[in-house]
Amino acid sequence: MSDRITRKGFDGWRWAGRVFLTLLLLFTVVPMVWMVLTSIKTQFAAMQYPPQWWPQEPTLENYTKLLNPANPAGADFLRYFWNSLYISVATTILGVGVAVPAAYAFSRFRFPGRTFLFFAVLLRNMFPAVVFLMPLFILMRWMGLVGSHGSLILTYLTFGLPLSIWLLKGFYDNIPIQLEHAARIDGATRFQAFVLIVLPLSTPGIIATAIFSFIGAWNEYVYAITFLNKKERLTLPVGIQKYFAEFSTDWPGLMAATFLMSVPVVVLFLVLQQYFVKALTEGAVKA
Amino acid sequence: MAKVVLQNVVKTYGTVQAVNDVSFTVGDGEFVALVGPSGCGKTTTLNLIAGLIPMSGGDIRIGDRLVNDLDPKDRDIAMVFQNYALYPNKTVFKNLAFPLQMRKLARAEIAKKVTEAARVLDITHLLERKPRELSGGQQQRVALGRALVRDPRAFLMDEPLSNLDAKLRVQMRTELKRFHQDLNATVIYVTHDQLEAVTMADKMAVMNGGSLQQYDSPKNVFDHPVNTFVASFVGSPAMSLVPLRTVTSGDAVALAGSDWTLPLSPANARKAQGATSEQVILGARHSTIRMHDAAAPGLVPGRVYTVEPTGDVTFVQVHVDGAIVIVSLDPGIPIRTDTNVWLAFDQNRLHLFDGATQMALR
Repeated sequence: MSDRITRKGFDGWRWAGRVFLTLLLLFTVVPMVWMVLTSIKTQFAAMQYPPQWWPQEPTLENYTKLLNPANPAGADFLRYFWNSLYISVATTILGVGVAVPAAYAFSRFRFPGRTFLFFAVLLRNMFPAVVFLMPLFILMRWMGLVGSHGSLILTYLTFGLPLSIWLLKGFYDNIPIQLEHAARIDGATRFQAFVLIVLPLSTPGIIATAIFSFIGAWNEYVYAITFLNKKERLTLPVGIQKYFAEFSTDWPGLMAATFLMSVPVVVLFLVLQQYFVKALTEGAVKA
Repeated sequence: MAKVVLQNVVKTYGTVQAVNDVSFTVGDGEFVALVGPSGCGKTTTLNLIAGLIPMSGGDIRIGDRLVNDLDPKDRDIAMVFQNYALYPNKTVFKNLAFPLQMRKLARAEIAKKVTEAARVLDITHLLERKPRELSGGQQQRVALGRALVRDPRAFLMDEPLSNLDAKLRVQMRTELKRFHQDLNATVIYVTHDQLEAVTMADKMAVMNGGSLQQYDSPKNVFDHPVNTFVASFVGSPAMSLVPLRTVTSGDAVALAGSDWTLPLSPANARKAQGATSEQVILGARHSTIRMHDAAAPGLVPGRVYTVEPTGDVTFVQVHVDGAIVIVSLDPGIPIRTDTNVWLAFDQNRLHLFDGATQMALR
């Protein structure tokens, strides 16, 4: 029956879906294409009206300028870049380092206050980040951390950890506890059973969590602009914004910087994605 | 191999008694089945023996060693799980090698033992595969291999056959029994399937509600159940139980239904008089009851409720005083539902239980 219906002529729903997906694709891809195209235009070409759809004199000058430490704009950009990288990597490593044991504990152990803690973790996510801006700023000032990268790492951890723990707990819930039982009977300590059996099986979850916290820290803007006050400590989102204000007419430069900023995230995703798929197919989380 | 002794073992979760004062001894080389319905505490008991969960009270000895506070890894036992619990990211070889690696054996010796275990279980050709590439039966063998690769003092098995299809289950049952005989292994085997217990075990421990009901050989459990729970749990189809009253006149004791009486033999009369009240439950297995198509003294009237032919034998469910009594008949005998029949109980093989305590009258 259903076969005959779907084969009969025009399936409106299916086509509506396709049109919707195509629009969605255009919506996400066109700005990126425009970003890349603008970044290889000359300053003059970028400001032309009607716009040049395809750059007539493509140039990589904007990139060489940004990546050249001798150039003042390049020096700034590279410093911001390293700051961002440092903060994001530190956030990711610390975040995963804390989230893995925490998620495991939430998944496997019954301890007093477990439910309360777990929902406290979620409760944080019900408020917009801005609500915590002033309290955290006061807290950081009290701890003498304002202006340091540490203040941002701490802040990103407080925001990233709840979701990381929630995400990873789901993974641990899906790993049969009998695997650990088997390992412990086979001669492993509880810790060995975790490290040798459970941890490898949760690799996809750990990678997903790592990508998640890296991107979160890499793109964060509001806290970075509030907590950091010295120019040489700024992160990329803030740095690019200042750069935007100072050279407001340099659209190709801005687009090049934006493009370079998106490179680490894409690279991270591509590199880890292979791992992700491999771990998913090999590990087969179900026993 | 070693014996395993449980003494007054208790496990409580909050106010729930999961295992309630359980004591039994598994002899060296014995195959003991822990049976009972879901939630009776049999798996919890097994996990207590394995040391996977802490005890609330009592003692467990493996060999001569008190293991109450030992980690699972130090108890020198092996376990086969219902879902096999094979390490999904390791090959079959590495699964089998894992217990040996954890005991820090030399690489060459590990390879030798794994190869030997694989040969015994006929899984040599699977050594380089991952568990998910194996069929259920093959996974079962690998799980068994991982248990026997390192001569443990006892094997614990948690419903190892219940994930297999019916045909394979019967085949693996035979192999497990053979495996036990060849290795002379001490095996503690958890199952909810009383047939598995009866066919494989030297002794069976019947559990219900966290308490041990009866611990004896399958034959004794079958022939002399200690209470109505064991009587109705062991045997397929279950023993029929009919709640009745005793009527005494002089020396003669009879069981009375609504409009009939069943005179008891002197031996049974003595048992019935030991009851705490006049409430007595009559129990009988299908094969000990004969069916007649006419009334006669000493026969119990009933009405045929359903007829279930199975090929070899036809089971007839008969309504007797509100209870169902199952009788087995030769499939050649024609029988129709809703006809009146009369049942003869074999006085030497019927069971009497105290109606108040549910305990067997002896």
